Amino acid sequence: MNLTEKLLIDLPGKDFFMLANEAIVRGVIESGVGVVSAYPGTPSSEISDALYQCAPIRKFYMEFSTNEKVAMEVAGAAALSGVRSFTPTKHVGLNVSIDALMCFAYVGVDAGMIVLSADDVGPWSSQNEQDNRCYSNLATLPMLEPSTPQEAKDMVVEGYKISEQLNEPVIVRTTTRVNHTSGNVTLGTLTAPKLSGAFKKQADRFILSPTVAKKRHEILLQRFERAKRIAEETNLTFVEGEDSGSKDFGIITSGVSYNYVKEALNELDLNFEILKLGMTNPLPEGKIARFLANHDNVIVIEELEPYLEHFVKATANEYGINAKILAKRDGLFPRFGELDPRLVLEGLAKAAGKKVPFDFQRVDQEFEKVKSVLPKRPPVLCPGCPHRATFYAIRVATGGKALYPNDIGCYGIVSMPPLETDTVFCMGSGVGMASGFSIVTDQPIVATLGDSTFFHSGVPALINSIYNNHKFVYAILDNETTAMTGQQPHPGTGVTNRGTTEKIRPEEVAKGCGAKFVKVIDPFFVKEAVKTFREALTYDGVAVIISRRECALLAIAKKRKEGQKIVPCEVDNERCTGCGVCVSTLGCPAISWSGKKIIIDPVQCDGTVCGVCMQICPQKAIGVTSG
Amino acid sequence: MISEYNVSIVGVGGTGLLTAAAVLGEAAVRQGEKVRVGEIHGLAQRGGVVNCDVRIGDKVFGPIIMDLKANVLLSLELAETLRALKKVSPESTILMNSYRMVPPGLSAKGDQYPDEEKVLAITKGFTKNVFVLDALKLAKKAGDPRTMNVVMIGALAGITGFPLKKDLLRKAIMDLFPKAADINIKAFDLGYRELNASCVKHFPHHAML
Repeated sequence: MNLTEKLLIDLPGKDFFMLANEAIVRGVIESGVGVVSAYPGTPSSEISDALYQCAPIRKFYMEFSTNEKVAMEVAGAAALSGVRSFTPTKHVGLNVSIDALMCFAYVGVDAGMIVLSADDVGPWSSQNEQDNRCYSNLATLPMLEPSTPQEAKDMVVEGYKISEQLNEPVIVRTTTRVNHTSGNVTLGTLTAPKLSGAFKKQADRFILSPTVAKKRHEILLQRFERAKRIAEETNLTFVEGEDSGSKDFGIITSGVSYNYVKEALNELDLNFEILKLGMTNPLPEGKIARFLANHDNVIVIEELEPYLEHFVKATANEYGINAKILAKRDGLFPRFGELDPRLVLEGLAKAAGKKVPFDFQRVDQEFEKVKSVLPKRPPVLCPGCPHRATFYAIRVATGGKALYPNDIGCYGIVSMPPLETDTVFCMGSGVGMASGFSIVTDQPIVATLGDSTFFHSGVPALINSIYNNHKFVYAILDNETTAMTGQQPHPGTGVTNRGTTEKIRPEEVAKGCGAKFVKVIDPFFVKEAVKTFREALTYDGVAVIISRRECALLAIAKKRKEGQKIVPCEVDNERCTGCGVCVSTLGCPAISWSGKKIIIDPVQCDGTVCGVCMQICPQKAIGVTSG
Repeated sequence: MISEYNVSIVGVGGTGLLTAAAVLGEAAVRQGEKVRVGEIHGLAQRGGVVNCDVRIGDKVFGPIIMDLKANVLLSLELAETLRALKKVSPESTILMNSYRMVPPGLSAKGDQYPDEEKVLAITKGFTKNVFVLDALKLAKKAGDPRTMNVVMIGALAGITGFPLKKDLLRKAIMDLFPKAADINIKAFDLGYRELNASCVKHFPHHAML
């Protein structure tokens, strides 16, 4: 059974092994959602991928939007028109779309709408680990937080009900550890997707003039009062171990931390009551007050910000409850990075005055000795990746003496020798910052961003730089896909799940934005690429270069499918002088030293797909045998 | 019902680690067990560090195996065995593939990558129960070097006390690799046999067969 079959199967009550991200997709499908829009981003990528595949089969609408804000507007408009909608994003994507979400909170929705915020606590694949629970406060919107794959599905289904009860969007917040956990998921009943609706004009609601906005803010706050009642009554929030548990200590927790608490209590042989919060905005003041009143000490366990801690303390203060509240402020748990079972066990043991039943110190000491032997394995560009060739050309053309603002994508990995860049911030920021650098420095600047990032947020910065007459090289690394997040299509590919549309070419966009220097190169023609970058560096203005070559993973998959053989490169030992130019300038995982000579790993090398090392070897010692 | 059984799988992106974990997860659900698989894969699609914790049993809630609590450390790449050693206690078993993937950063100074003897010596400081398999050799014998992960799953199935039934694992493998079922089943059986042979040789006191 393939993934879509598993996600669409009509077997309520049956157990399946599912990734939480797949369970979320199942929840969306069970809820009869009509419109899904997303820009991919880890740890939410599997959600949009699976919905993209399921949509044509289940007959609902799913699009990859150019960015999260557009996705929010697409989903929001559907919900205003009476069609259930869903927009998943990674945590920093909500930074892009929050402007729109604030408006949808004010106007409310006419059908259920869920915004899924997948927060990358760690962080594992992001530029920060911001806590998006804070956004639910900012937007005054309800928030649900699952702990397990099963809850991930169930809370989506429940989220639509709450959204329609309140006529407001609901935020479901997950974290990487939840998104990327698989486990048993019991399926629910499928609902046929509702695809069409109607938008009822209401100027005093949808034209957010200051007068209307003021009125809508009041309405939003009234709805939030109703949400508070739901928070008190919902069974997504519950007390565990009531009656039997100790009255000395109680624990308040939510999300993935709940799992660690359960295991830590078991290891410590403690029987503490747990208040598990499934709805984390609004928080249930009454339930929390009762829990506080029932215990002498309450330990609050959560990742990142002291979000629950502050509310619990405020509630204790408000109700005049004297329970001692133990949390981050007491140094029990860190405010950065993930929690894990050991951190929770150690914090709990400290708070409860229990001895840790494991000799962690010893294993820590032992492991210190291992660290020096352990080879570092930083993420690298794949063998045959066209980005490597583009960065090589930039490096040669600039002699390593330029500023290199970079961006978010596979190419963002290029931060270490031999192919260094200087900044990686947020989507589209490299080209925006290039403008600033060009104003205040005399250094040449080559800013790089990918094709999908260009469409996401590179275009306004391009227009800005041309309008304000800045001087730098604006290089679009066009590998014809959104590679980093798993090969999703984008406007430059023309591919959708409803058939193909005309490709929107970055060079045409750049010309339309007023760029006069626009050149398209193939980075695998190394000499030509270097020459074009040299020319661009002398241009007095914004020089746009589109370096186009299909992602190696796609190219190889295509060749394999066509039955073509990938012939790896080989080193001619007679010719190889061991100068090391290939190793020191390319950083290709397939090329390594073997004594004083070079070897190429035939398993990793993409040979004829790439061939860059053959072109740069001063001795012409690398080639492919006809095979 | 199982109370708690933890398998930590480590390796490098592209070595089939997530698929190996999926085989175990599928088999566990079919056996009616509670299961959690936690996967962490950083930025790289290929070549980065990948870790999967497979946890089976009623007392399991979260996706992470606590330090010292792995029953088995299953390593698909030689040096990566070292990265997860904190999860190992003297009671744990380590199943280690001798396959090496030298990171490109080390290419210039290849001597920094530890050799098999060194890795073995270090791991034995954490537990005496260490098995080294040449999974690449067995995978090639099965018909495809990419089945190294399944060879290792076969070896895992041969460990004393491993709670998932062999036929359910085979069934899960057949369902997950419908186009290459034969080769993968062969790889599984080769891994299973190799471990048993190795047990008889090194640990005759283990009643395995």
